[in-house]
Amino acid sequence: MSGHLRCQNVTVRFGGLIACNSVSLEVPRGKVIGLIGPNGAGKTTLFNVLSGFQSFDAGDIYYKDKSIGGLKPHHMAKLGIARTFQNINLFSDQTTLANILIGAHHRVPGALANMLRLPAASRFERSLVSQASAIADRLHLGGELDRPVRELPYGYRKRVEIARALAAEPEIILLDEPVAGCNDEETAELRELIRSINRDLGVTFLLVEHDMSMVMTLCDYIYVMNVGSNLAEGTPEGVRRNPDVISAYLGEDSD
Amino acid sequence: MQQVSAVRAVPMPASPGTMRPGPSGREAENEEKKQFARQDLFGILMLFAVATAFPFLPGMGTWVASQAALVIVFIIAAQGVSILTGYTGLVTVGHGGFLAIGAYTAALFSHDVMMDIALSAILSALVAGLIGFLLGFIFLRLSGAFLAIGTLGFAFFVGAVINNVPIFHGREGIFLPVNQVFGIVLGDRGFYLTSLAILAATTAFIFLLIHSAVGRALMALRDSEKAAESYGVNRLLYRTIAFAISAGITGMAGALNAHLTNYVSAEDYRNIWYSVDILVATVIGGSRQIMGPFIGGAFIVMVPFFLEEMADFAFILKGVVLIVVLLLAPAGVADVLARPIRGWRRHRLARIRGAAQSRPAAMPASETGGRLQ
Amino acid sequence: MTAVAVVLVFRNTRTINVAQGDFAMIGAFIGMVLIKRYHFDYLAALAVAGACCVLIAVLVERLIMRPLEKADWLTLMTATLGVFYICHGVAGWVWGRDTKAFPATFNPTPVHVLGTVISQGHLINMSWAVGIAFALYLFFKHTKQGIAMRAMTDDPETARLMGIPVRGFVTLTWGMAGLLAAFAGILSAPILYLSPQMMDEVLIKGYVAAVFGGLYSIPGAIIGALMIGVAENLAGGYLGADYKTATAFAMIVVLLAIRPQGLFGIQNRRMV
Repeated sequence: MSGHLRCQNVTVRFGGLIACNSVSLEVPRGKVIGLIGPNGAGKTTLFNVLSGFQSFDAGDIYYKDKSIGGLKPHHMAKLGIARTFQNINLFSDQTTLANILIGAHHRVPGALANMLRLPAASRFERSLVSQASAIADRLHLGGELDRPVRELPYGYRKRVEIARALAAEPEIILLDEPVAGCNDEETAELRELIRSINRDLGVTFLLVEHDMSMVMTLCDYIYVMNVGSNLAEGTPEGVRRNPDVISAYLGEDSD
Repeated sequence: MQQVSAVRAVPMPASPGTMRPGPSGREAENEEKKQFARQDLFGILMLFAVATAFPFLPGMGTWVASQAALVIVFIIAAQGVSILTGYTGLVTVGHGGFLAIGAYTAALFSHDVMMDIALSAILSALVAGLIGFLLGFIFLRLSGAFLAIGTLGFAFFVGAVINNVPIFHGREGIFLPVNQVFGIVLGDRGFYLTSLAILAATTAFIFLLIHSAVGRALMALRDSEKAAESYGVNRLLYRTIAFAISAGITGMAGALNAHLTNYVSAEDYRNIWYSVDILVATVIGGSRQIMGPFIGGAFIVMVPFFLEEMADFAFILKGVVLIVVLLLAPAGVADVLARPIRGWRRHRLARIRGAAQSRPAAMPASETGGRLQ
Repeated sequence: MTAVAVVLVFRNTRTINVAQGDFAMIGAFIGMVLIKRYHFDYLAALAVAGACCVLIAVLVERLIMRPLEKADWLTLMTATLGVFYICHGVAGWVWGRDTKAFPATFNPTPVHVLGTVISQGHLINMSWAVGIAFALYLFFKHTKQGIAMRAMTDDPETARLMGIPVRGFVTLTWGMAGLLAAFAGILSAPILYLSPQMMDEVLIKGYVAAVFGGLYSIPGAIIGALMIGVAENLAGGYLGADYKTATAFAMIVVLLAIRPQGLFGIQNRRMV
């Protein structure tokens, strides 16, 4: 089956250490796919590979069946792949609106025209801004557009990250631990938001997460990694009962 | 009188056009924002109007005009630096090199080919911009301390070349013929007005830049390179563009500097002072505010001016002020001046928001040290 | 000059100290005054000037760097730039801005070493530099303080947790820098002649050398300095003296283009 985003036998080596060992996974269109595993399993490395931030030594990644391995990160957005960051890589001194707007950067037609405020470019700008407002509303950020994001509470900032990703009008969003550090309330809210985005806008999701409640309830399909390799995959039910998975997690501390 | 307001450097809704109707609270907010933008514009226009009238006021001799022109030179140079350090987050301790390139381009051009300030300014900007572009490319992988040293090395390299390569006439210098623009011979006042016009152009340019997608991209690179790249900002492209624009603007300042004194010599351009002075001007004024370079440029020129006899104290004063600014207001004087304005405006916006919705309006906390909106 | 480069490496404390050269300059001036007016013996003058420089450096650290601790490095560097201005101003004010000669201290007869001709003065300078560098090297490798300081630069937080008085060490670092500056100043004075600007070029080259070495390793800085010196003179020989200085800076531009972390710098794991 030709998936949306796919990686095949990807291996990443850091000197003598093998972070990813011939890992393969597939993200079909319109689904919410989870990537889990104990700490140090190589999930973040793989994530960085998929978003263009990490080079790899073997294997390849495909998007809509075209190889995208080796592409620089800034190409990814244009392809339709957006990502969020675990450690909140927002532009902390800038406003929420500004942060969201940058998400749409790759959609801006002509830099020069944009600067000179030529009519077509101006119209595009206005539509961008109203679209950003709409996105903010969807993510319950409506009143905070003019606030510098560093004044926002943690949960809000997580949402701004997602808002920014949405501004890119992506086909697939890679979520890097979207609820890390969130309390139950914030987690539930984010879970609902992701689900609604997936359902209403048809955006595909790949999420790396430690929070099992998120993963089990949200994902259509889950991949499990351990010490750099594929360990298991399956539906949430299947994975939850998989003995290998259980022992891998119990060997650490289970959620 | 409307005190000069520091125009916020953060992109507000990028164009003052009409928004599509949203919730009525939004409309009122946007009206308010447009009002703010109009106020800012008014402030700047007033400033330029005063500046234009300045040399014709009673008691202002032509010599004042040339001093003022020097201020303009530094302002423009600082504007160049601010693009790189303030808006793109790249450090440069070597912009004196671009100043020199601009100055010498103007000198050689005017001396040998033709004399017209407008043309030589443009040419200098292009040459400096091109070299800046290359430099941005060469230094692509540098950051932080290394970049600082790299640019510093560049500046000294330029200085050394100018000093030693015969075509530049090193220490003896090159004389420029009488200033003219579009065929009109310019006296001190005329030159000042021409420089003012150029300053207006660069300021407008910077304003447009900041509030455009390009500006957003640069600031994104500054604040979080990884995130910026994820969303399509091509690091190579934008870094080189930033360098090019920054260099071009400072180069233009260099050309003006050359025309101001009608003379260039390696003596002035091969040491560290221009590079450092411009950087200091930018930092003191505020590298992220449009008004920053204005304040910084004025300061850097005025200090030696008022302390003529005691040039040494000029040094000391500059250093002390610099340190004080860093300790108390790292984002620059313009930032400090703008804070009350910003605070008041956010208060107004919050009130409007509060009135339109039943949700209690959040009282914006006033900003802590150093930053944009 | 090597000594200066070595000291610059000290900016392990994240700061680029633009004023470094000026510490040296002030040291040189103090030394000169001491020798001329008070007829100190050379070594004694060195010691006293050294003490003064240490004092000044520590003062700077306490008054200026400390409060700025948490700021980003650009702010820190610009602060030292402020100190730079102040030093220049003060020196110009107190001692005048023209160039003066340092009282003669060395026997001007040149000495033949390894096929080249060096003046005795230069030779002594180099020996000092090498000696100091060696001492520093030992310090960092083998003494408790030295190792602690290295830990500190790698990870200040953890170091603090392990009981290393980070703040105190920072002050110590600056103090050492001051001391080295005094040496650099006085050693170079006979060659460079005294003036507020005397160390300006040296400062740049010192940094260039340090960057050559990657800004983190002392031996790297020394090698860097040597290479620059050699390259400069070679260029001077082949291309004409005019291009001597230009070469040094060209080198740094080229080097950084090719190897952004310097020759011995730690690899910054840049991905993709």
